[in-house]
Amino acid sequence: MVYHDLRSFLKVLEEEGQLVRIKEEVNPEPDIAAAGRAAANMKNGPAVLFEKVRGYKYPVVTNVHGSWANHALMMGMDKTASTKEQFHELNRRWDLYPVEPKVLSRSEAKCKENEITEDINLFDLLALYRINDQDGGFFLSKASVITGDPEFPDDFDKMNVGTYRIQIKDKDRVGIQALAFHDIAVQLEKAEAEGKNLPICIALGNDPITTFMASTPIAYNQSEYKFVGALNNGEPAEIVKSDLFDHLYVPAHAEVILEGEIISRLRTVEGPFGEFPGSYSGCRLQCEIQIKKITHRTNPIFENLYLGIPWTEIDYLMALNTSVPLYKTLKETMPEVQAVNAMYTHGIGVIISTRCRYGGYGKAVAFRLLSTPHGMPYSKVVIVVDEFVDPFNLEQVMWAITTRVKPSKDVAVIPNCPGMPLDPSSNPAGMHDKLIIDATTPVPPEPNPRETQLLTPPAGFEKWDEIIRGLLK
Amino acid sequence: MNCPRCDHDVIKTIAKSPVGEVWEVYCCQKCWYSWRSTETPRILAKFLLDDAKIAAMQTIPPVPPLKK
Repeated sequence: MVYHDLRSFLKVLEEEGQLVRIKEEVNPEPDIAAAGRAAANMKNGPAVLFEKVRGYKYPVVTNVHGSWANHALMMGMDKTASTKEQFHELNRRWDLYPVEPKVLSRSEAKCKENEITEDINLFDLLALYRINDQDGGFFLSKASVITGDPEFPDDFDKMNVGTYRIQIKDKDRVGIQALAFHDIAVQLEKAEAEGKNLPICIALGNDPITTFMASTPIAYNQSEYKFVGALNNGEPAEIVKSDLFDHLYVPAHAEVILEGEIISRLRTVEGPFGEFPGSYSGCRLQCEIQIKKITHRTNPIFENLYLGIPWTEIDYLMALNTSVPLYKTLKETMPEVQAVNAMYTHGIGVIISTRCRYGGYGKAVAFRLLSTPHGMPYSKVVIVVDEFVDPFNLEQVMWAITTRVKPSKDVAVIPNCPGMPLDPSSNPAGMHDKLIIDATTPVPPEPNPRETQLLTPPAGFEKWDEIIRGLLK
Repeated sequence: MNCPRCDHDVIKTIAKSPVGEVWEVYCCQKCWYSWRSTETPRILAKFLLDDAKIAAMQTIPPVPPLKK
């Protein structure tokens, strides 16, 4: 099952019992964010669609990606697929890259059903609301932002589709956070050095894989749209040219497309905003965008996410898409690695399962992770377990730590390394220590004086697994 | 009406509810804090702003030098 828009995905979620509708009128604050928090707290929590928000015309939906069941359905898998199964399926599809997108004509693209060029008012279309109570305003927390490289405007692969927080500052003006290490900042720097504005499109309410790819870290010259086709198992992404900018393409069936420009060399107060480490990032001077045109589907659905102390919806958008690229990098030089779980706070915490080829190999795998482009600044706590331990099963991981670790030799702290600035324990911001816990079983030449015989499952347990699962359906 | 965060007195009404007259949204033209008329902003002391705090804020991303 491949989804080319948000609506077809919402329909399947509802059929699968993974979407609930709130028909009664709700208040923008605090109801929408509170429901996002509540749904995220539930095991396999549903998406929540509010049909009527007080004072607004159109509905809003939240927690669309907010459970492993919804994540599996996004991939077209059975909703009971385990996290490890989803990891390996995502890893398989990753290798299908690149899949050329299909460029639709304007009349074929549903995002062009309506257009607004005068008296632009975001509040007319989007049920905007405060997400966390100390946020500096109302934020778009789940937009896919499209920009090009001013130096190479015709280079499709350098076009960036990313997720950045966006603060509403007026009915037609928004702020955006472009951190220096983000791809969009590379493009903005080139435009600003010339004193020019940077053209930008903001796509809201996309098919679920486009949103997922927009929050996936890939190389600067890799195309998110070509990855969307790969992750959709070879079915091309459907895109359409922006109305204002010939070099930008947007998801063809998005609910709403905002088109405008980042104002060159302007910075104004932005924030605070409740961020993914579960705390607020403070106020900074950041960029502003002037919205010049909107196109939208008839009766648009506004999709936004709640983010709070993990886990909340945002964590599903930086879980397996953080894990798979790290796994691929490790696997190139260390084929013994079985799986990588980098789902904790965007890879600040990582669990790796590996076969150990020789003594000390577990620690060596951790060092390798800590020297990758993402692992170097982000990863801080690295746990390495044996190849038969499922790194996505935290009970098994804790078993490995409690029965395999001798702290005096298996725990190492490496001081004064790169760190993730948004991690509040990083001090100064951007510097940190690294912690390695080697929970693998010693192999030669490391001595293993108390070798054990592992317990194995009783014969026929697979059959019983099938029987019990069948009875639960 | 003054800004609940920085006490500035230039406040713009940036939106009125599209359906019914049930709320308005205000935005400070100095610190860009915005709030809905149905909210009662209770800003923590650590997030209150003044000129000195705004002047000391980090600029993200830095503005590059202009090419000549």
